[in-house]
Amino acid sequence: MAFADMPLVGMLKTRMRWLEARQKVLSENVANAETPGYRQRDLKSLDFKHLVAGGDSTGAVVPMRTNPMHISVGPTDVRFGADRERTFETTPDGNSVVMEDEMMKVAETQQDYQLATMLYGKSLSLLKMAVRRG
Amino acid sequence: MDLIKSISIAASGLRAESGRMRVIAENLANSDSTSPVPGGDPYRRKVPTFASRFDSDLDAQVVELGRIRRDVAPFRSDYDPGNPSADAKGYVKLPNVNPLVEQMDMREAQRAYEANLNVIGAARRMIARTLDILRG
Repeated sequence: MAFADMPLVGMLKTRMRWLEARQKVLSENVANAETPGYRQRDLKSLDFKHLVAGGDSTGAVVPMRTNPMHISVGPTDVRFGADRERTFETTPDGNSVVMEDEMMKVAETQQDYQLATMLYGKSLSLLKMAVRRG
Repeated sequence: MDLIKSISIAASGLRAESGRMRVIAENLANSDSTSPVPGGDPYRRKVPTFASRFDSDLDAQVVELGRIRRDVAPFRSDYDPGNPSADAKGYVKLPNVNPLVEQMDMREAQRAYEANLNVIGAARRMIARTLDILRG
């Protein structure tokens, strides 16, 4: 079993990919914070229950490995659905980006990403501990 | 990689805001520029506009400085018969630049610039975290 096939690692990878995609959407929001008519966007949050149940929350079609000779093909271009949120403030020019909100989300995404990478590192060291000779 | 893309998107924000700063600087520098001919129109205030554009490489909405418009507000006028730009009645038309408004616009541009820089910083730190996995 490859390291990447472990459910925990797979979940962490999905999470990291989601956080990356979210950071991209947030940077769009911040860059367009003064563009007339721009509507603020965010990603739909990941469904943890679905992830635990082994489902692919991204809804992407993943090729199955039916033969050990197959090279495992992971989802390379995963797309997460973007969502328009209701914000409490829309300027007269139709822009609904609230800068404070966006900065909070950027910081939050960064922290979550750090958490995911740390957990990834920890699970790696757990494996290392298991294979080390006693 | 999405993080590199978010840096590029934030960079488009930086570019747009610095263009806005340039226009504001032009307005402030010309806040007293009168007409070279007697009775002519002085400097007219410039208004920067922003437009979002879909970038297919980045697969995202980036921001661009749109067309720079002119402010249609009326000019200020001053009685100064000795001024070479004065008309026959002795009135000089002064630019429709309000330093207070420019000051406020400048602050806003500054804040937006900082916000974009923050996003770049956050994305860079996330990349650094990813590379930290390699250290083990």
